[in-house]
Formats: sequence, C-alpha cells, structure tokens
Amino acid sequence: MMNVKRVISAIERDYILNNLKKDKRIDGRDLWQYRDIDISVDMVQSAEGSADVSLGETRIISGLKYEVGEPFPDTPDEGVCTVMAELLPLASPLFERGPPNEQSIELARVVDRGIRHADCVQTKKLCIRENEAVYILFLDMYVMNYGGNMIDCGGIGCLATLIASHVPEGEFNDENQLVWTGKYLNGKDIVNELPFVITYGKIGDITFLDPSLTEELLCDGSISISVTEKNVTSIQKSGSATFSIDEVKMLGKKSMEIGKKLRKELNLWQYLVQKE
Amino acid sequence: MPLIINDEYPKKLFREDGKRLDGRDKHELRPIKMEVGILKNADGSAYLEWGNNKIFAAVYGPRDVHPHHLAKPDMGILRVFYRMATYSVFDRKRPAPGRREKEISMVISDCLEPVLFLELYPGTSFEVFVEVIDADGGTRCASTTVAALALADAGVPMRSLVTSVACGKIDGELVVDLSGIEDKAGEADLPCAMTWFNDQLSLLQFDGEMTLDEMNICLDLASDALKKIYDMQLNALKEKYIAIREELNNQEKSPNEGGDE
Repeated sequence: MMNVKRVISAIERDYILNNLKKDKRIDGRDLWQYRDIDISVDMVQSAEGSADVSLGETRIISGLKYEVGEPFPDTPDEGVCTVMAELLPLASPLFERGPPNEQSIELARVVDRGIRHADCVQTKKLCIRENEAVYILFLDMYVMNYGGNMIDCGGIGCLATLIASHVPEGEFNDENQLVWTGKYLNGKDIVNELPFVITYGKIGDITFLDPSLTEELLCDGSISISVTEKNVTSIQKSGSATFSIDEVKMLGKKSMEIGKKLRKELNLWQYLVQKE
Repeated sequence: MPLIINDEYPKKLFREDGKRLDGRDKHELRPIKMEVGILKNADGSAYLEWGNNKIFAAVYGPRDVHPHHLAKPDMGILRVFYRMATYSVFDRKRPAPGRREKEISMVISDCLEPVLFLELYPGTSFEVFVEVIDADGGTRCASTTVAALALADAGVPMRSLVTSVACGKIDGELVVDLSGIEDKAGEADLPCAMTWFNDQLSLLQFDGEMTLDEMNICLDLASDALKKIYDMQLNALKEKYIAIREELNNQEKSPNEGGDE
C-alpha cells in the first residue's frame, strides 16, 4: 500500500526541487535516466498479442485484437491501427470510473501519433484485397498501477505488443470467401520502424527525463518526443510549462540519444512470437 | 468480424481416455495460482490465475462516496466493479461496460457483503475493482474468489473469506470447474460461492437443465472443490506475511545493512 496524495507537502516539494537544482533525483537517478523497465509478452491467450510493461512503479498491460473490415476510401490498400487507453480506477486513487477523460485520451493519442507518423505499422501489408478487406488492429492499453509517466510505459508496451503479435492470415478462396490460410502474420510482417516516445518533465526551469509520480504531480508541464532511428516523428507539449526554442532543440538531440540507447538496451525484437 | 478459425463447438467434451478436453478428470480443478498485495497504489490487491483466466482485483476504502447521494448515514456501502479487458475474449469486447458486466458486478457485490461489517463504517464506501485480463470460463467465480482475497489483503474486517466455484454438466456427466468451451457447449452451469463464517452459499446461479438428483450431487461436488480453493486462499494470504517475516529475519542477521544504531 502506498500513500498517494494529490497535493505534495511544501517540505517534500522543496526537498525535490533543491535536489533537482543539484542535478539529483530523490530516487537516486540522474536527470537523464529512466527507471527500471521490465517487459514480459504474450501472456494473454485470448489476445493476438500482449505485453505487460513496468516502468518503475507504473505498470501497463496492453493487448492486440483485430477485425477484418473495409478500408478508408482515401487509403484503399492500407490497414488501420487504432490505440486506446484506459486509466483503471484500480491503478490509483487519483483515477475515477467513467468514460475516457482528457488524461487517458492524451495517453492514447500521443502513443498513437508516435506510431502513426513513424511508419511503424506496415499498413500496406495489412491489406487483404484493395477496396474490400483490410485488417483493423486495436491496441488497447490498461493502466494497472500509476506511478508517473504512463506515456513512455504505454509506448514501449504498444511496441512490444505489436512485435509479439500473431494475427491469423486471411485470403480470398476461389468462391470469393475470406478464409484463414492457417498461417499467422507476426511482428516481422506488421512492424517496420520502432518509434520510442520519450517524456520529460519540467519544474521551474529544470527539465528531466521520466518523471516519477511525485515529480509528475509537481511538474508545471511535460514534453513528449517520439523518435525513430533517424527522425523525430511527433511532439506533444502538455501542461502549463513553456519551453524555449534552444531547450526544444536540446531535448530533440537528447531524445535521439536516449532513443538509440533504448533501442539497444530493450532489444524489443527478442519478443518476436512464432506461432504455428 | 475476425477471421473465423473455429466456429463449431467440439462434438464431444470428453476424450477417448475419459478425460476432459484439457486433460482433467471429471472432478479436477484447473491449475490455480494466487498472489496478494501486487498493486502498490491500492489499499489491498490480489492476482489470480485460474486455468487461462487472469484476473486482478484492487480494493480502495473506506473512503468518500462518489456520487455523494449513494452514501448511507448508518452504514458503509460496498461497490464492486467487474470489468473485462477488450482483448480478454475472442471477439474484441467493446470498451464501455455492458449489461453482463454490470450484472456480474452486482452479483459479486451481493455475495461479498454478508462477510463485511459495513455497519462500522457509516457514510463511506469500499470499492472493489476487478479487471479480467484474460477470460476462459468461470470468470465470475474466479472474480469473487480474488475480490475476497483483495479485501482481506486491505485489512478490511471480515467475518470470513468467500470462495467460489462452478460445477455443471457436460455430455451427461457432472463435472467441477467448467472451462470456457465446456461452459458454452455443455448442458448446465451452476456457479456458487460459500461464506465460511456460517458455511452457507452467498452466490447461487444456475443455467441449463439437470434433474433434482443431479443438482444435489452438483452442490456436494462444489462443496468439496470450495474447500480446496479456500485452502489456497489462506495460503496466499499467509505467504505474503511469511515473505515479510523472512525479510525481517534476514535484516536481523545482517544488522549493518539496517543503518547505524
């Protein structure tokens, strides 16, 4: 049981701030360091892919389901991938029941945009027949424990889910019926680029990577930058904090470095699932 | 629509060797794994793997009631919210709670209420959130079992634990603990739950057809299975404290780590 407070006491706030000014974090990290990341995949039998990712205290379980449907008229030969997030009231006393609120929509949208603009999902391979049948992938994230920075945790969760996926492969038979070929599309068929979402918190004029829960509650705002190996693919600034142009440039550079490091250290391709 | 891989139920629910499709004997439970205190933010929590079912439960309370008009001036209220993840079933479930989830929430809530001392907590609520991550038959029984564990883990005063299991009839035979396919293709399903302070049933539903004699046997089968699951619940609760005790013992053995005195 952890004592989660909406308001941080002045003493605790000053302690955190004074440490940050000396480039220190209360949990012993330096300013540009992630908390421990723990990943396990494919534990949900009913899903066509799933991942359970912990980033420090934050834990998100995501899963993939699919449907075969008609493509959008403007992209007749491309499949669709949508992302949804739910902040379960089980995850924190700060979350309430009810329809999606701003926070959960932002989480889903930022992760979605990171994936969408990076050519992460090979939508053209998700087409069975032009204008008629494409795969619609649903990536759904459930926050099981909230300990700050859900966006980065969800981003890694979605990538791991896609890589660990196994979607039945469909084809039209001679009678023009859509049938299962008996094979599966796996992560290699579905995923192209790996875009990492990297979030920085800002308190006063100090910026730092991966805010923990107390830090996040103290933050004036945050900025999430998605990067692939070569490009920046999306940015979302949220909260009331403001960032100088030089600061954004600096964070862009940092993100490329951190993205590179994550790509190497997490080695997400190890989670590929070969289903027969 | 997903691509239909297997839209027909198997014709037989027993194999040639007399075992069930998943290899169990008629009166055998699926493998069950329980753990308490796994979600850090909750006042109490538990996780249960029951065959392919994977379920989390978390308890918050006693705390303020939202919306406020639900509060009772003379006693606390218990609210259970049973939800299934969109990816926990074969066809993706719609994200919003459906009628089935609301009914099961109510059934579980009614089932747990008798063991709580709600009269000691006027004007407050206990909220139990049950999240089914993976479903394969018998989720209401598994959810009741794991919700009771989470309440106990939260330190909520209870008259006893509550344990639940389903029995039923498949291919004319009475069996314990129906799996998803047995539930769908079988003839009858009888979920029930026991409150151990008075050895009575606090959840009882029945769907299907069986004779009165068969129903009586079914209830006896359930009674035996419930005792086995109850022991597992007690063990899961004890294990948390055994782990804490071992940690403390280790600290005593190496006092240097505990700081200077």
